[in-house]
Amino acid sequence: MPLYKRIPRVGIGGPVGSGKTMLIERIVPLLYDKGYRVGIISNDVVSKEDANRMRHNLATKRGLLPEELVIGIATGGCPHTAVREDPSMNLSAVEEMESKHNYLDLIIIESGGDNITTTFSPALADYFIYLIDVSGGDKYPRKRGLGIETCDLLVINKIDIAPYVEADLKIMEKDAKHVRGNRPFVFVNSKGGEGINEVASYIIRDVLFEAPKNIQI
Amino acid sequence: MSTEINMEDLSFLQLSDSFFPTGLYTTSNGLEFIFHEKKLKSRDVLKLIKIYLKQQVGPGDCVALGNAYDCVEKSDLQGLVEVDQILYSMRLMEESRNAAVRSGIQLLRCTRYFITQNKILKLYQKAVTNGHASGIYPVSFAVVCKSLNIPKHKTGLMLLYGFVVSVIGAALRLGILQHLDGQKIIHELKPFILVSVNENIGKSLSSIWQFAPAIDIIQMKHEQMDSRMFIT
Repeated sequence: MPLYKRIPRVGIGGPVGSGKTMLIERIVPLLYDKGYRVGIISNDVVSKEDANRMRHNLATKRGLLPEELVIGIATGGCPHTAVREDPSMNLSAVEEMESKHNYLDLIIIESGGDNITTTFSPALADYFIYLIDVSGGDKYPRKRGLGIETCDLLVINKIDIAPYVEADLKIMEKDAKHVRGNRPFVFVNSKGGEGINEVASYIIRDVLFEAPKNIQI
Repeated sequence: MSTEINMEDLSFLQLSDSFFPTGLYTTSNGLEFIFHEKKLKSRDVLKLIKIYLKQQVGPGDCVALGNAYDCVEKSDLQGLVEVDQILYSMRLMEESRNAAVRSGIQLLRCTRYFITQNKILKLYQKAVTNGHASGIYPVSFAVVCKSLNIPKHKTGLMLLYGFVVSVIGAALRLGILQHLDGQKIIHELKPFILVSVNENIGKSLSSIWQFAPAIDIIQMKHEQMDSRMFIT
């Protein structure tokens, strides 16, 4: 149906408060510096706060993308449905972005909620990053769930606070390897920047099909 | 019983199932704002839906649907586009209008995925892609239902029933109703759905109208809410 080119899409899902918005705020400038232009769709459960924040931080303040390229979508309380069973509203937003901003290299779709069973419809996202953080405890990876098991890249965030919440990163690493087999996972501290380059490199290599470069934050 | 009739009945079930992906679950039609303002009690939901049916969905959406269905039957693409444009122009609230267009476009996209040979469905989708038509939901719904050989009257019932279910679903998620009350209200609304479809589905396009200023204002206010679960 579309007359325009299809732009690659990355879905970023994970529980509320796990750091999805900050991860995006860290990745987009790295991609921008490499010449990649990105649009963002944020599925908010009850507010426009995440979309407004990204619009302010990435578009208004830093000029990394036009303000209209951060779209907030209210999901009727069903963020998992809006990216999985019935992604109609997200697909419409993607198509609008593709028709009006076809120069984009990548669209990032953020969705929260539904804890460990979140997945993205393959019709909506080509690559799925699932985010958890250490404050949920070091048991999180071994609890499995569709998101943790099937995502293309598992990101374990907020490793800087692991000692304060008594989360053992070695246990998380061992369990993540066991649960995910050969699929990758990355330890990240979005606030301090640790691991962000690696996440960006995965996107550049596996979604944009360009060889990863040594990107410095 | 012929196989054809069974196929129509199954298509009727498929399209009226809330599992069918059109994104309608993201709309509350202003219910969220009234609830937020504490101006709605559970007993008011039935009354509110009746107003919607009587003042907006019946005389507006259902009339458009009936005319669109007739156009598809006559392979009249120009007439279909005219119905589309008139209904689009009657949706005064931006977010409500956008949501109806997005749902309609996704309905077409989904149906075209498994109905590939229907000429008018194909032409209408092309008109939407080219910007000649909007794809607004009631018109897209008529095109899709006719392409699946669902009778016109049943198509009208499905549209209004689907609207009722989407409002009740929003009321359940907002905590205004409990699940048994939701089903009771749907049951109580069945006669109103029937009357509304009987009264409106055969009307000419020149008879189309909608007038619900209080609901329009509610939807405008909803657009301004900072924190919300629903698109409309």
